Amino acid sequence: MLTLRSGASRAAKRDTFDKMNAEWTPMRWPGSWKSPSALGLLKGTPINCLLIDKDAALLPVIKQAKQAGLQVAEIASPPPGVAVVPGEWPGVAMARGGGASAGPTGVPWVDSNSWKIRLEAARRPGTNIWVDVPPKGARVSASSYRTAIADAGAHGGRWVISLDAQLAAGIGDGKPDAVAAWKEITGAAGFFSKRDQWSTYVPEAVVGVVSDFAGDNEFMGQELLNLIGRTNQQYAVLLKTKLPKTLFGGLRAVIYADAQPPEAELRKQILDFVNAGGLLITGPKWGVPPGIPAKDDHPRYAARTLGKGRIAVAKADPDDPYILANDSALLISHRYELLRFWNGGAVGSYLTVAPDRKRAVAHLLFYADRGPDHASVRIAGRYRKVNLWTPDRPEPRPVEVEIQKDAVELHLPAVSQYAAAELEA
Amino acid sequence: MHKNCSRREWILRTAAAVPGAWLAGSPLGRAAVAPALPVAVAKCKTYDATELVPTLSKMFDQLGGLGRLVSGKTVGIKINLTGDASYRLGYAPLGDTHYTHPQVIAATVHLLGRAGARRIRVLESPWATADPVEEVVLRANWEPRDILGAAQNVEFENTNYLGRAKKYTRLMVPTGGYIFPGFDLNHSYADCDVFVSLAKMKEHDTAGITLSMKNCFGLTPATIYGTGAGVDEPSVLPNGGRDMVHTGFRQPSKSAPPEKDPKSSRDGGYRVPRTVVDLVGARPIHLAIVEAVRTMAGGEGPWIANSSLVSPGVIVAGLNCVNTDAVCMGVMGFDPMADRGTPPFETCDSTLRLAEDAGLGTRDLKRIEVAGTPILQARFDFAALRRERRAKMGRWRG
Repeated sequence: MLTLRSGASRAAKRDTFDKMNAEWTPMRWPGSWKSPSALGLLKGTPINCLLIDKDAALLPVIKQAKQAGLQVAEIASPPPGVAVVPGEWPGVAMARGGGASAGPTGVPWVDSNSWKIRLEAARRPGTNIWVDVPPKGARVSASSYRTAIADAGAHGGRWVISLDAQLAAGIGDGKPDAVAAWKEITGAAGFFSKRDQWSTYVPEAVVGVVSDFAGDNEFMGQELLNLIGRTNQQYAVLLKTKLPKTLFGGLRAVIYADAQPPEAELRKQILDFVNAGGLLITGPKWGVPPGIPAKDDHPRYAARTLGKGRIAVAKADPDDPYILANDSALLISHRYELLRFWNGGAVGSYLTVAPDRKRAVAHLLFYADRGPDHASVRIAGRYRKVNLWTPDRPEPRPVEVEIQKDAVELHLPAVSQYAAAELEA
Repeated sequence: MHKNCSRREWILRTAAAVPGAWLAGSPLGRAAVAPALPVAVAKCKTYDATELVPTLSKMFDQLGGLGRLVSGKTVGIKINLTGDASYRLGYAPLGDTHYTHPQVIAATVHLLGRAGARRIRVLESPWATADPVEEVVLRANWEPRDILGAAQNVEFENTNYLGRAKKYTRLMVPTGGYIFPGFDLNHSYADCDVFVSLAKMKEHDTAGITLSMKNCFGLTPATIYGTGAGVDEPSVLPNGGRDMVHTGFRQPSKSAPPEKDPKSSRDGGYRVPRTVVDLVGARPIHLAIVEAVRTMAGGEGPWIANSSLVSPGVIVAGLNCVNTDAVCMGVMGFDPMADRGTPPFETCDSTLRLAEDAGLGTRDLKRIEVAGTPILQARFDFAALRRERRAKMGRWRG
């Protein structure tokens, strides 16, 4: 198997499209909460925008909500500056009969809205991004709600809090278990609303996916984002229609898998990146790239060298984003991965850095209903201090930190669906 | 046999009393004449190179020196990277529990290079993947350059598939084999002059123990012997583990030698030890090294419930794999003469007995010269831990 190594400097940082905004904590108002007194349930919560269906019976609720200073809107016409994306209920996909369904290699199949949020942020920088996905089933566990909140919140978006009918009724009736679940949900939402400065952090990435993610390229481009995320590679969304000059700074590789060859300017930008030491992963649609053939023993790619970098050209048009996503991890090399997990299970991650690069946050998501035991994560970078935050506690959790060469390794305590490692350089 | 008489003496007397040709062809006879070569044992408390390299160097000297074995030769080293690299026992690094420790690999490579090995090839069939071994060990948090740079002309090869060759290499079992008459393997196991099994000292859920011989279970490419192997021809890439060999639920790809008797027992405790002996018969081990500076008790990997991290601080090496594994069992507090029903072979046949019966080497400690630290002084009592663990499990079961 061929392993292409590349050494693009990480000093020059890339302009990012993933500029987030997260001023709202939205909630879809349950139809069963007809009394304005139910607005009292929002006291002490971060919820500041209610999405209320057109229903004459809810007019008193709308009136009082507005009087209380809450934003009121409908899901079809959200407030200005908000983009609503339809989502998937995040978590380990369950097969019929309750067993977890598996991906092509037997690993759990995870649904996440992370890539949708990041793609929308790239398309509409500075926009508030809300994920709209009502809970599946009649009754959803509190852990599943926490996953929905964290999956969106970690990636700079917000899940539109939507309660299943049974839970909404239970909260309305003041049933203790329902009220406890409500507190957990609003507590998790509050965790992210208190940390909206994290939404100014920018993604730290190893690989960029260049595409317009639309038309003929919608499936491949979007699924690549989804599945690269599942490999835990930290990626950048690179819209080829909006490329800045410092497009590839800090990246080790770019993937160009669109159905059309790149325009001349984009082609030049990418080849400049390769010449400087980067890796291009592409398909035959690119055409014959410059450079000279390199040792080629990969079953699916022909290798070429160009300047200080390399090009891996798929021998056939890539038509399976799962294979391409996994191939890319190997073509780039695990050496350069920014986060590496042990005992993580169905894990997701997102590493972001503050604009001054003195702080970083590694968002760690565990999509199974039950958090992992004895999970460890290695985070690349030279950090001297780590705080581990979880939504269930106001103070950081104790965490064992092992300083390694150019990395820190965290031995995580028992956590549930989400933890954030806040790192200081 | 009616008066005090050691087993060895009995075998020797018996051997004198029966026709040699008959004896040589029987398991009893093969056991009697099974080779007995020196085994070196050393205490080693840390993986620090300043302790590890001199310790291993002294052990190899006690075995007669590496130079005469490897000078000018191509050496293949089968290491043990069982299970996926993302799986740890607690927070412990993989080399401390169930993988051969990278420092031991590097130290061995260094000493082989120093002894004049022309080319050193580090081999493994990592779990369900054709990824380069370098990439697998990076995921374990190792630096492959530490191994690749420990001597000249060092390389890794993933032997879980065809790898760098055009075709698989067929290696036959000289004695005919228990389960398989031969194997189709990655070329690396034929393209070496000297073959080293560099194993971790552990118990094993199916085979009782995993030492230098059981390490060779991983010689089998999953493209042929894996759960998702091709039916007629090997699959291009490995898919899944080796349940096929464990349970015999299907046959290897038809291109490879089939089982001798598909109607034989499908029990893993019967099949795995026999397949291991078939493999070490087909691919003889010239140097067996079993390390347990740190390791795990209770099983071969973190997926085994109630297993634990332990620090025996011992390394065992020998020129005969059966002898070496017998000494390892002694160090672990087990009786190498134990058979099915006796710890650690409560539910399986003894790989050592089967190997001895096949004439590969003796397991009789009385016939094996131990150099360095005596077994009793090196002992770390896995057997006692096993008894405690099983007693607790019995109580839990009520």
